[in-house]
Formats: sequence, structure tokens, C-alpha cells
Amino acid sequence: MQVKYSYLDQQFAEVDAYFKDLHELVASGEFTLGPFVEAFEKKFASYLGVKHAIGTNTGTGALILSLKAVGVQPGSEVITVANTFIATVGAIVAAGARPVFVDCDERYQIDVTKIEAAISPKTAAILPVHWAGCPPEMDKILEIANRNGIPVVEDACPAVGAKINGRFAGTFGKVNAFSMHPLKPLNVWGDGGIVVTNDDKAADFLRLYRNHGLLDRDHVEIWGVNDRLQPFQAVVGSRVLDTVETLVEARIRNARLLDVGLKGLESCIRPPRRPQGYREVYQLYLLTASRRDELVKFLVSRGVEAKVHYPIPIHLQNAARDLGYARGDFPVCERQANEVLTLPAHQHITPDQINFMISIIREFYR
Amino acid sequence: MRAFLVKINLIIMTHYPVPYSALATEAALVKAELMLAVENVLDSGRYILGPEVAAFEREFAEYCQTKFSVGISNGTSALHLVLRGLGLKDGDEVITVPNSFVASAAAIALAGGKPVFVDICHCGNMDPNQLEDAITERTRAIIPVHLTGRPAEMKSIMEIAGRRSLFVLEDAAQAVGASLDGKRVGSWGDAACFSMHPLKNLHAFGDGGMVSTQNPDIVARLQKSRNHGLANREQCDFWSFNSRLDEMQAAMLRVQLRHLDAWTEARRNLALRYNDLLRPYVEVPDEGPGERCVFQTYVVKSDRRDELKQYLNERGVEALIHYATPIHLQPAAKELGYSVADFPRTMQHVGKILSLPLYPTLTHTQQDHVVELVSSFYQTN
Repeated sequence: MQVKYSYLDQQFAEVDAYFKDLHELVASGEFTLGPFVEAFEKKFASYLGVKHAIGTNTGTGALILSLKAVGVQPGSEVITVANTFIATVGAIVAAGARPVFVDCDERYQIDVTKIEAAISPKTAAILPVHWAGCPPEMDKILEIANRNGIPVVEDACPAVGAKINGRFAGTFGKVNAFSMHPLKPLNVWGDGGIVVTNDDKAADFLRLYRNHGLLDRDHVEIWGVNDRLQPFQAVVGSRVLDTVETLVEARIRNARLLDVGLKGLESCIRPPRRPQGYREVYQLYLLTASRRDELVKFLVSRGVEAKVHYPIPIHLQNAARDLGYARGDFPVCERQANEVLTLPAHQHITPDQINFMISIIREFYR
Repeated sequence: MRAFLVKINLIIMTHYPVPYSALATEAALVKAELMLAVENVLDSGRYILGPEVAAFEREFAEYCQTKFSVGISNGTSALHLVLRGLGLKDGDEVITVPNSFVASAAAIALAGGKPVFVDICHCGNMDPNQLEDAITERTRAIIPVHLTGRPAEMKSIMEIAGRRSLFVLEDAAQAVGASLDGKRVGSWGDAACFSMHPLKNLHAFGDGGMVSTQNPDIVARLQKSRNHGLANREQCDFWSFNSRLDEMQAAMLRVQLRHLDAWTEARRNLALRYNDLLRPYVEVPDEGPGERCVFQTYVVKSDRRDELKQYLNERGVEALIHYATPIHLQPAAKELGYSVADFPRTMQHVGKILSLPLYPTLTHTQQDHVVELVSSFYQTN
């Protein structure tokens, strides 16, 4: 039996409906922003229950724009974690600021007890990540941020559909970013991103900045970028959005089956703590395992595409050399980099495949 | 407000017998091929930097007569990433022209440099005779723009840049396929940037960009810088962006590239026909010696431009101005400290230029209608 990590061929096996939409797009000639992008933005805003959604070219672009929209600038510091995709930190640097890391907790999320100590007079934003599609403790983060008068930008890139007590990820911070990369819960056929906010001024800035700073065709208000969501991807995203709740539920079901199936192996392999009220969307289904590298090899040799997200924490990357961090600075994150693995648990995984994975893992630890 | 403007725009567009562009008509000609290309990507399951991007990069490099090309998300990012690769420090200067699309200058500012403008010559592109005066100790690069699809005076510019050891980045956003003395734009400088925005001759169905170059070091840098600075899945060598050309767009661009020569020929024939017919009334864009222009925009000059534009617009011909406000006078450029008096040739040019509808599917009937209106404007006014 094969258990593949990617599911895109299955997800998009039936494309007639998408092609109907794309025909409409091509017939309209509206290939730069325009009605298809606006329709998607409205639909996504109403899904989340926010005032503004602004489509961007990528999730990275969404993060950069979000940070700029809350006033991050050269000389600022932005607090985030070292166990995330590189783009979280790349976006901080792209906005001209210095990344300041704090360690993570045993849920692989930002350790809220360490944030306050990382705040300095230069802190311009706190950028918690919904890593793996799991919300961090947003209420505590907001409390700290409000007390210190610092805006929160959620990196909700992997977390469309995630919730805390019914409230969507991406609705806690002032300006928040999502990705629609093909391996995200809400995915498109290439790159795409969305920024959401309830702040009118931020929304005005975002719409200006993503399109060359153009007020209209002839007037350039600020130096901007080209970071527009492609109408092609908006059309695809719009249709996937109709299915997102169903596919998130399927991921949740698969994650539960894995959690339960691995019970009894806690001394070797275990899922993180999953507190009440947190709806995870399992963009990655993460586990902590002993003899991780051997286990991954074993799984792969048996046809299960297990992966590691990620073996090198960001503060130890070549790119981070100038930030002055060293091994030992974030012990939990560094330990997890050696222990964490990702199993395929997406919406197209079947109960048979789950049982297959569980039996291989049991066999490995026997 | 934006939504409102878009709606108004749509209403106006649908009422122009000769609209400025005809993207839907053009797309209809290749729709079956496009959909097949999209389907191929779906079947492959590869949506990010897959075989279509790689194939398009090879085909595009060949088209530009260069060894390499690298797919980027859009033309602006292409400029930005190449300039970032130069490691500009605050105060480092990059020279370009003020009559381009804003991205030529914005990319410099984004990369941490200071845009320095030099005036244009009669042809509408960078004046090599004034270039040398704009070079200072802080100058790191020159960005000549092949505006409207006309090649800039690359021989003189390359001579000056060579003598002063400056990097030349061609802004060929509007000029794919144009050449000077038989040598294609994109193959003159150290690197060149192209845009595949929908209104470009070779266009994506959304945004797209390319860098062409002969230099493998630039290629290696761009392959990382367009993809988060990642050397591989696990190792990040420097902080960067996500500026990848979409696999879907690359697949569709390969379809477009197969038709590009025919479409360019159609544009050129129509442009030369316009030149013959409009010559009695306005200044037409004749090609200079050795130039092969691709007419991404067809720009005439008139002393009574605003009246003529209004006359045409009111009678169903969508004429536009590229660009009505030069970059050095935009609010965004305030801190650069330029004034209206700085670039007389640009200012003179800006007051006269008018872009007329020109695209491969423009019919002779439509073109004759435009010409008749220009003629009647000058005869009755």
C-alpha cells in the first residue's frame, strides 16, 4: 500500500466545474485584479466574518503586506517563533525589521510565557504562527499585546478554517495573513495569498501597496509592489472555498483516528496536547517520536511518505547568521527539530491507509 | 471606490467600437490550446516550479538569444530581485528614465537604492548623451527601458557602462522580440527583465515575469531568491521572497510563445500601416536605423493631444496616455527632490504622447475608423 503526501491529483480529478469558471474568466479578458478577484475577496471575507479581504500573489506577500500595514518599518523588531516555514521570518526581514524569536511550547506553538521578555521599545508587532494549522493561545497573546500597546499580526498561512471556541484563525490580530499554496487547506493551482482586516485604513494601504502604489491609473501615491492575487487563482480558490469546511472535517476525522490508533505508544511516539475548544485543521499532522530519523526512513521504505517539518530551526539557518543566535537559545524548538515528524492525514487518506500507517509504526517500535 | 471605478471602466469599455485592448478576442483564438495546457498541469499534480516553468525558461532564453532565463512572478519582482542581487547599500544609485511605468523606479527603491533619472532623447528612450553626466561615485547600475517596444540605444549605453564598470539591467518589460542590429533586447545587458502582464505582447493570463541573462551566477542567485532564499527544502541561505512564476501561467505562456512571432508580425504590419496613414496629421513612431520595434504601445505625438484624445474617446476610440505623469513628479518620488524643470525632453514628450489601439486582432476597418477620426479632427478643427 502507498500513502502519498500530496493529494492534488485526487482533489482535482473532477475539473469540469473549474473549467467552466475559467472559460468565463478567459472570455472576460479580466486578467489583472478586477471582478473575479473582488468576488473571491468578498466571499472569503464573509466566510471569516471580517470586513476586508485583500488578495495577494502569495502567502509570503500577504505576510509582508500585513506587517507593513501595522507600521512595521526599518529598525523595528517583530516577535515570532523559530519553528515555522522560512517565509514567516523572510517576511519580517523584507519589511525591513529584525526578527526576534521566542521558544515554542509542547503544542509546537509560540510559548506565551516567553513573549513578554522578548518585547523591547522597538517591538512593532507580535507575529504568532498557527503552525501546522493549530491556533496558538491567541487570548493570552492578545492580552500581552494590548497591555504593551503592540499590534498582533497572525501568520494564519496554514490555518484557513482553524478556530478557537468558534472564532476563526485570522480574526484575532489587527491584520492577518493566509496562504493558498497548493498544500494548504484552502488551496489554488499555484501561489496565492489573502490579507484580512477589519481596519479600513489598513485595507486602503493594502490595496494601494499591492498594486504599485497606484491611486488610479496615473497617480502613484507611494512606492509599491506588484503583489496581486491572480484572477485565475481567485476563480479556483472561490470554488475550493465551497468545499473547505468538508475537507477540514475529513482532516479532523483522520487526525482523530491516528491519535487514537497510536494510543499505548506514548513513550515512543505521541501527538501534542489538544486542548478543548481548539479546532485544528491539520495542514500538517505532527507527532513527536523517538528515533525519528530511523522511523521516517522505515515509513518511507514501506511506502508511507512521512516528512519532517523542519529539521533545521530558523535561528540556525545560514540566512540567520547576522541575527546573533546560537544553538541552545531555544531548547524546546531545537529538541522538537530532532523529534518531530509529519504523517499524511489529508482529506483523501482512507481509514485503511491510517491503519496501515499505525501498524508500520507499531512494528517499528516493537 | 475602486469597485466603482472598475464598474464605470467596464461600462465605458463595452461601448468603445475600437477599445484599447482585446484580450478576450485574442484568448478565444487559442482557448483550446490554453485549456489543454492547464489540464496537463492538473494531471501532473505539479503546481509550483515544475516542468512547465523549466521548459518555458529554456524556450524563452532561446527566443531572447541568451543562455538562461529565470521565471519570476511578475516584471516588477524581476527587476527587484536582480537589483537585490547587486547588494545595494543605502545611497547607492541606479539610473533610469522618468517616462517609464512606475515599477522601473519603484524596484530600485524597494531594493534599497536611490532612483536617479536621466532625460530621454527624441526616440522616447534613455538619452546616452546625458547618461554620463548622471553617473556618480555611488552609481551601481543603469536600467535602460525599451519603452513601447522600441529598443533603447544599447550600443552607446553598453559602451559607457563598460567604460565605467556599471551593471546594465535592461527593462524589456514592453519589448519581447524587439531587436537592434539583429540582436534581440534582453541579450545586450548583464541581465534583462520582462513582464508577462496581460497587456504585453507575450502575456500570461494574470501576472508573470522573466529575467534573461548570460551569467550563470545571476541564475543561481535568482533560483534561490525567487523561492525564499532556499538552497533546498531544508536550507535557507539568505532572507528573500516568494516571487515564483506560476506553473499554470508558464504552461499557458508556452502556448502564447508559439504564436508570438505571428502576433508580433501582425502588430508590426498594423503599426507600419498606421504610420503611413497618420503621417499627414501627427508625428508617427518611425523605426530608427537597425531598430526592429514590436509596438507594445503605438504612440503618436500631437501638439493638440488633449483635444485629440477627447475627440477620439467621444467617438468610440479608446486612446490612452502612457504615462500622463512622469515618475519624478509622482507623490511617491517627493523625497528624491526633483522638479518640473529637470527633464525638459520628458516633459515635452509627456504633453504630446497619445497611445492608439493596436493589437494583433485589430481589423483594418477598425484601424481605418481611427485614421478617419484623426483626419477629421485636423480638418474640422
